[in-house]
Amino acid sequence: MSDYIPVTARERAEMLAAIGVKSVDELFEDIPAGLRAGALALPEGLSQQEVYEKFKNIASENRLYRSYMRGAGAYRHYIPSVVKAIASRSEFVTAYTPYQAEMSQGVLKAMFEYQTYICLLTGMDVSNASLYNGATAAAEAALMTKDRGRYKVFVTDNVRPDVLAVMKTYLTAKGMELNVIPSEDGATDVSALKALLDASAAAVYAEQPNYFGIVEDLEAIGETAHAAGAKFIAGCNPISLALLKTPAECGADIAVGEGQPLGMSLAFGGPYLGFLACKEKEVRKIPGRIVGETVDKDMRKAYVLTLQPREQHIKRERASSNICSNEALCALTATVYMSAMGKEGMREVASACLSYAHYAARKFTEAGLELRYKGEFFHEFVTAAEGASDKILTALDARGILGGLKLNDDELLWCFTELNSKEDINEAATLIGGAL
Amino acid sequence: MSEKLIFERNSHGARAATIRKPDVPEYEPSFALRETFDFPELTEVAIVRHYTALSREAFGVDNGFYPLGSCTMKYNPKLDEEIAALEGFTDIHPLAPEKSAQGSLAVMYGLSEALKEITGMDAVTLQPAAGAHGEYTGLSVIGAYHKGRGDTARKKIIVPDSAHGTNPASAAMAGFEVVNIPSDEEKGVDLAALRAAVGADTAALMLTNPTTLGLFEKNIEAIADIVHSAGGLLYYDGANLNAVMGIVRPGDMGFDVVHLNLHKTFSTPHGGGGPGSGPVGCKRALAKYLPDPRVIKNADGSYSFAYSADSIGKVSSFYGNFLVYLKAYAYILTLGAEGIRRSAEGAVLNANYLKAGISDLYPAEGGARHCMHEFVISCSRMKEEYGVSAMDVAKAMIDYGMHPPTMYFPTIVHEALMFEPTETEDKATLDEAVAVLKAIYETAHTSAETLTGAPHNAAISRPDEVLAAKSQKLRWKK
Repeated sequence: MSDYIPVTARERAEMLAAIGVKSVDELFEDIPAGLRAGALALPEGLSQQEVYEKFKNIASENRLYRSYMRGAGAYRHYIPSVVKAIASRSEFVTAYTPYQAEMSQGVLKAMFEYQTYICLLTGMDVSNASLYNGATAAAEAALMTKDRGRYKVFVTDNVRPDVLAVMKTYLTAKGMELNVIPSEDGATDVSALKALLDASAAAVYAEQPNYFGIVEDLEAIGETAHAAGAKFIAGCNPISLALLKTPAECGADIAVGEGQPLGMSLAFGGPYLGFLACKEKEVRKIPGRIVGETVDKDMRKAYVLTLQPREQHIKRERASSNICSNEALCALTATVYMSAMGKEGMREVASACLSYAHYAARKFTEAGLELRYKGEFFHEFVTAAEGASDKILTALDARGILGGLKLNDDELLWCFTELNSKEDINEAATLIGGAL
Repeated sequence: MSEKLIFERNSHGARAATIRKPDVPEYEPSFALRETFDFPELTEVAIVRHYTALSREAFGVDNGFYPLGSCTMKYNPKLDEEIAALEGFTDIHPLAPEKSAQGSLAVMYGLSEALKEITGMDAVTLQPAAGAHGEYTGLSVIGAYHKGRGDTARKKIIVPDSAHGTNPASAAMAGFEVVNIPSDEEKGVDLAALRAAVGADTAALMLTNPTTLGLFEKNIEAIADIVHSAGGLLYYDGANLNAVMGIVRPGDMGFDVVHLNLHKTFSTPHGGGGPGSGPVGCKRALAKYLPDPRVIKNADGSYSFAYSADSIGKVSSFYGNFLVYLKAYAYILTLGAEGIRRSAEGAVLNANYLKAGISDLYPAEGGARHCMHEFVISCSRMKEEYGVSAMDVAKAMIDYGMHPPTMYFPTIVHEALMFEPTETEDKATLDEAVAVLKAIYETAHTSAETLTGAPHNAAISRPDEVLAAKSQKLRWKK
């Protein structure tokens, strides 16, 4: 019923006359008649009001919880109002990729700021302008490391399952091999890793904190990778980086991660933001858009998409990646988020995550759960109680709490952020105690 | 005065957003901490002023005419944005129990069904995050299909020289060899070259129809026959579907796999370069290879995720760019079957009207043939006669408050400019564009230097791209 076509019937007639045809149908005369589709089997169009009402109803079929204690790759944080206000400005929302630099300086500057923020956060030299999500960023990073005889990528089984799955898809296609090593008490087993690495190793990928929430000894993993001549890729939670040693300080050649915690909602999994930053020497292999600073004809500072000979529209099948559209608006969102939180705010968020997670771990162990692993953790941890996973989740669910992610019948993976509180954690502990 | 960077607004001790103080003991970590943390400190007013200033140095569809060929810069309905911002969608955890996410699953299922109907395919995955990602996924599915039949020799993807750069790049990324074939005189697929190229090693031919010249590939049935007879499959690059949706379906043209760009055809915003969404549809024989998971509707009307043992695996974390699905689905439900067809007709009408308006000065490729939703002109003659290039014409349009068309693509046309006005522009805007292009042509022979120096009224004049690549200033430094 509604459409967004502004041409009136009278104008259409004038336009057809100017073109020199009698009907719109004539314009389609190149399409063989036998191929024409009949009417599509889709419902009739709705009014805007009906569409809005319909989606309000659909949204109400989703359940909003009072409290969330689940992360596992998607993290719920406070999103300052200023982030949404800026990221919904239609000059940004409705723009294309900034090919025309003269009328896109605002978008280009925001991307340049994003690249700078990612470098500041990770300690790396160069960041691209974004990739689809943390999983494809890790996979693209792994592809960057393929080098003559080096084709094997090593990961521990404590990386996020989606990252592992996407890496597997990407690497297999390019003739690389993904090797998954068992973890030791939830952390990377450095000596096992060392024993496996040889001259065919292209890279080692480790996450910080890992899937189980444990803070890894990244420096030791990096040293082991480098000793075998392999690159070291660190997959990092960006909030944790406000406190933790940076991937650069730990010797990473490439740092990647899921940028969603930087101001993006859970949104049932997307759109999110893949960040990728590397050492200067890797810059020619970096996938995707990069913005650089230059000057215009009048010697004024200017920003442009640069190093384009790496990209698909120039290099075609020899490009460093096929990526074209990325997640620009999500990168802008992250940029505004990092500006709004600032140095102190970022640290406070990280610290609150840490404090609530450790408070919860204490209360939950008092309630009868065991901590599955000994290692120091950031804002996620795994608990164990024989056969209790479903009972616990059901008890919490009944009270509007989304509990930890069920890893198996015994184990739950919990996550806490600044959005949790003493009260909801205490309540959960009581419910857990009752369920056991 | 152009806005400086946020880092140059740093004000020591300033704060913007604040969070609730934790009401539990502060935890002192035992792990190693970073040495320095150099984020800027800013006030909220400074942040808002800064990004508002940057927004004034940006240009979107909401700012004006945006005839960027191949990109389908149509109006992005505000209704769809509001729907995608509903808390009942934004605050749903991707790993929430299925029973708590029935609304989200219903949207994914409903959109997939609609896209199946629009493309004439039997199955759809929504997971790819952009068009190129869809190409990669579709080609990986094709690879898995051939392998699944025990046909391991099919290592080559045939790509016409008029194709989008992502086509060969995606083929390479999916592990295929790329065979480029030339175009014929009408810039369509050269059938003789195609016949010579296909064989027992052909996995698929990638094709855009309408082609990147904005012309419908009339020989599509013959092309499909040649590829299928050789045992290969036909891949549809959906970048140009806006011209023909509701009129002819890729599945009926003989295509086996198709990717769509929801951020083009289905009017979700481009966001300055994403997030997009690149769903992939395929015929029944290939369905089991699509990425995991897919959404199914159960007998009791509920929805759940389903997995396939033969799937190529995952190409994205979770399920792809969910909020983009909402916008596209809202758009499809608003338009309905009729509105979808009318939109394609409107796109083709607008393109032909604009083409007719400027054809005496800027002749389009394709001669007397009607274009589809876009058309390509060559500025070769202008360049020879007045020294004015396609780039100069494009940059001059900026001074008139219009976004330039796509430049120097397709590469098989010299000094190419590709115009795609879309159906959401009114006649007055198209008339204005005709007047602007005429004025630019006039200027070309009266004062060419005005054009070669354009733009004159933008935030910057032409940037030095060589310097950018050479100096590699890729981040701000103190």
